[in-house]
Amino acid sequence: METAVSEPRRNRVANWLDAVRRSVCRVGWPVTDKDRAAAMISSLFLHIHPARVSRHALKPTYTFALGLIAGILFVVLSVTGLALMLYYVPYPPEAYRSMKDLQFVVTFGIVLRNIHRWSAHAMVLIVFLHMCRVFWTGSYKTPREFNWVVGVVLLLLTLGLSFTGYLLPWDQLAFWAITVGTNIAAYAPVVGDRVKFLLLGGHVIGPMTLLRFYVLHCVMLPLAMLMLISLHVWRVRKDGLSGADIRTSTEEEAAGVFPASTKTYGLMALSKRPRASVESRDPNDEVFAWPHLLYRELLVALGVIITLHVVSLVFMAPLEEIADPTRTPNPAKAPWYFLGLQELVHYSALVGGVIVPTMIVVALLALPYVDRGKAGAGRWFAPERRVANGVFTALAAVFVALTLIGTLFRGQNWAWVWPWK
Amino acid sequence: MEVKNVAPPRLHVVFACLGVAFLLIFSWVLLHEGTTEWRSTQARFGRLQASVKNPHQLAQAASVGGLRQIWLPDLGRIDRCGTCHLGIDDPAFAAVPAPFATHPGTWLSTHPADRFGCTPCHDGQGGATDYTNAAHQPQPFVSRPMRPLETIEANCGACHRALDPPDAPRLAQGRRLIVEFGCFSCHEIPGFEGLTFRGPSLASIGYKVRSGWLAVWLHDPKAYLPQSKMGNFRLSTQEITSLQAFLLSQRAQPPLDSTGIDWKRADAANGRALFGELRCVSCHAVNGRGGTMGPELTKIGDKVQRDWLFSYLKDPHRVQPDTPMLQYRLTDEQLRDLTSFLFDEYGSAAAATEPPPVTYQDARLVAEGRAVFERRGCTSCHRLPGFKDTGRIGPSLAGIADRDPDELPYGSNIVRHTTDNYIFLKVLLPDTLGQPSSMPTFGFSPADAAQIALALASIRKADLPASYVVRRPAPAPYRPGGAFGELVDRYRCLSCHSVNGYGGDLSTVPFDRIGSQLRRDYVAKYLLNPGAVRVSVEARMPVFHMVPDEAKTIAEYFADVFVDDSLERYDARFTAVEVRRGQELYRRLGCQACHQLGTKGGYVGPELSTTGARLKPGWIAAWLSKPQTYRPDTLQPDYGLSPADARALTAYLSGSGADRTRGGNTP
Repeated sequence: METAVSEPRRNRVANWLDAVRRSVCRVGWPVTDKDRAAAMISSLFLHIHPARVSRHALKPTYTFALGLIAGILFVVLSVTGLALMLYYVPYPPEAYRSMKDLQFVVTFGIVLRNIHRWSAHAMVLIVFLHMCRVFWTGSYKTPREFNWVVGVVLLLLTLGLSFTGYLLPWDQLAFWAITVGTNIAAYAPVVGDRVKFLLLGGHVIGPMTLLRFYVLHCVMLPLAMLMLISLHVWRVRKDGLSGADIRTSTEEEAAGVFPASTKTYGLMALSKRPRASVESRDPNDEVFAWPHLLYRELLVALGVIITLHVVSLVFMAPLEEIADPTRTPNPAKAPWYFLGLQELVHYSALVGGVIVPTMIVVALLALPYVDRGKAGAGRWFAPERRVANGVFTALAAVFVALTLIGTLFRGQNWAWVWPWK
Repeated sequence: MEVKNVAPPRLHVVFACLGVAFLLIFSWVLLHEGTTEWRSTQARFGRLQASVKNPHQLAQAASVGGLRQIWLPDLGRIDRCGTCHLGIDDPAFAAVPAPFATHPGTWLSTHPADRFGCTPCHDGQGGATDYTNAAHQPQPFVSRPMRPLETIEANCGACHRALDPPDAPRLAQGRRLIVEFGCFSCHEIPGFEGLTFRGPSLASIGYKVRSGWLAVWLHDPKAYLPQSKMGNFRLSTQEITSLQAFLLSQRAQPPLDSTGIDWKRADAANGRALFGELRCVSCHAVNGRGGTMGPELTKIGDKVQRDWLFSYLKDPHRVQPDTPMLQYRLTDEQLRDLTSFLFDEYGSAAAATEPPPVTYQDARLVAEGRAVFERRGCTSCHRLPGFKDTGRIGPSLAGIADRDPDELPYGSNIVRHTTDNYIFLKVLLPDTLGQPSSMPTFGFSPADAAQIALALASIRKADLPASYVVRRPAPAPYRPGGAFGELVDRYRCLSCHSVNGYGGDLSTVPFDRIGSQLRRDYVAKYLLNPGAVRVSVEARMPVFHMVPDEAKTIAEYFADVFVDDSLERYDARFTAVEVRRGQELYRRLGCQACHQLGTKGGYVGPELSTTGARLKPGWIAAWLSKPQTYRPDTLQPDYGLSPADARALTAYLSGSGADRTRGGNTP
């Protein structure tokens, strides 16, 4: 009987509920700018963002949200990966059978596996594109040198995660891709064979390899990844996004995409830093992260999840016959992101297996400490960086071309084939 | 100012669109899971069940909801076929179409599903829960899609290792052909261990064959003999010439002396009579009719030399110790007549004239021929002194069914690239696979090649658990000694008869308990002039021209050794009442429909007028009680006679002809 509830009592219930809510989240739904700042700062998770961000850095065409998408994919991969672990047995024949069971009998099993598989491929691609974006906008310049290094390590970890996960289905594709991949590793002088032995837990791929790759894939690498992602994002938070000096075009200003702020807030009391980027920024160019950044992040996340679902419902993750060490497919190919290297190995094992990968990694790690000029940071293809951008683009194009050749144009005995024939 | 810090309305539109898209896509995922093929199939079955069964049966029927699977831990398989094939073990669905139809035949009762599952026999992807992925049709990345019924017997062979597995006629025929053509002489074939295949010894072939015939034969054995077991080695003219020279130089043992034979006095009519009496056609075919144990004789006159044939008929074991051919006890005149008859009847006009003796002195040609002989692995089948056993020339066929079909050559043949098709092509046309092949072309018919391929397709790489394997029975060789042994050897009894499963199968009478079946006196007389006991049976025992002492030796050995005590203990003192009751039973059961007794009766079964003189009563009673125990394929019906009835019939039949002492019947 609604009428039986007296007005004071209704208030008491509302107050009690409000008290419970406040115990969990001290700031209510922000309606004032102060609350918006407080909401960001008082939350462990939201605090990874600044309370206010440069509205130019929010422009979609500046970052294409690639880093964000990579982060979202990591979350998606962690969640689906944990679910898959409930069905997976890391021992040869059962490993393959669990793939089949996911496909045939586990509720939502095939969608889970497809999402995990395609997210993993997408993550390699997105992380690579993210790196390209950072280079082309010169965003690794001071003070972000070290974050670039962390990013390079994250790229390697992404490749490692994808590579270790590649073996787990224990089908022909997995077995021979890992065979080729680990053979490339074995070309390294002196330590190559030892590294391969350590990786495989023996001289050939067997149950020990599967267990090692499983532990690496599910425990060690994700933990390392989680820590480095935290560091990576933390540095972004501390150093600020690059591109703060870019001015929004007047058309955008007029269109009101990012409303100009007229209020200023001194955040010094909340965040004391020796080189706080906040002070150096023009408050008029900043907007509150809540809602401008968070809303966009939510939309990107939704978009990514929808895309993954569509792809996973339309395209099945590949699964060939159970691994058979006595039946070598021809050609045996490494995972696609190593096919550029395999293509080089085809010409010279030393060049493709040792010199080129070592040089790539060393060059990427050393890059921000060698290219120390400050000009052109924060803008796409800044004319001041014409040489650097040209060299990087050429090298990236060669690598992409080699990967495409290895993926699409190589048939039996690594002979040239036209993919449409 | 405050207002400006809320999100722009455009983002709300984007959010709304994405939100709707997300809901749609998530509904799609739910729909995807909720409408899987097996769920709709089970729903269809539920409706079908309502129309097939009455309400009472429906109430009894188990619920069909959910996945069904059979786990076979020993075989490492999980079969979920039963998820859709829901009526498979329910006879009520016999007339219903797939997938709900009852399993045909009695296979499920002989091969219970909880022990054998589905895929061990049918192949396919047992873990799948939809039609496509179950590989009812070939699918990418499914190495063993479901076998069509034409080749399913290949999977019978994985467990059933006997050469004549039950209820698998194609497999049995394939294995029979492998044995007949001796594939295991050149290839190691698991399952055929211990079997040997011998072509004739070539030690004295120089004396045996005509040089012209040899050239024709080497060029294409089928041109001379369509049933030839030797394949066509596709030899070049040069290879044939040299091989011919080499073979004709093989003259280890001259034929027995026939210089005293006056061939002009040969009586071809007597030869023809002998040819019938010796029952040559039981083993040798002429003009396409007759046995297959020996070579066909239709053109024998064009092949061999007359002196050699005379010598061979006189003592076949001298030059061919392995031959299943027996040594008749014939006089030189009889041999002369028989040889002459064979030459006149089964040779062209050219055969009448003895070819001039050819001597091959060209040492270079002979050496060349020797090299060809070795290279083509002739010693795999033919024995020749001076050549030691070089092992098998062909590759091992162990695990052939699991060869990677993508690694096998198919030449220009347009077939689906499967291991089965490769084996079939290799057996049928070994030289068309785009690779040089030493394997001869055997000229199999496509049907025969398919059966051989089917038998080979049962040879898997990984062996099954021992509990699933039905091994090939390995009969212990039977080699009696003493005088009896010599007679068994001379007359090659075991070419047709068997002892404990060892020996031939041409005769329907094994020796195992023959001493308790046949009366000793009857055997001794019968062997001197054997005739047809069963008029309707084509193969008959030949007239050996045995001497009486030999027949007596055999009869005594039978009576002493091949005895079944349970038959011997039978009390044969019958009363007149029993005889009368037996006569009544004989009439009532309609025995005369098949058997002749006196002057009346049929010709399907043996004539019974002399039963008492032929058979021991214990055997008659045992046979009448349970004929299929002794011969599973006999036409004799099992009437389920009580011991008293069987005894009465025995009493009646034992009386018939007991007073007569005639040995055999006229053929």
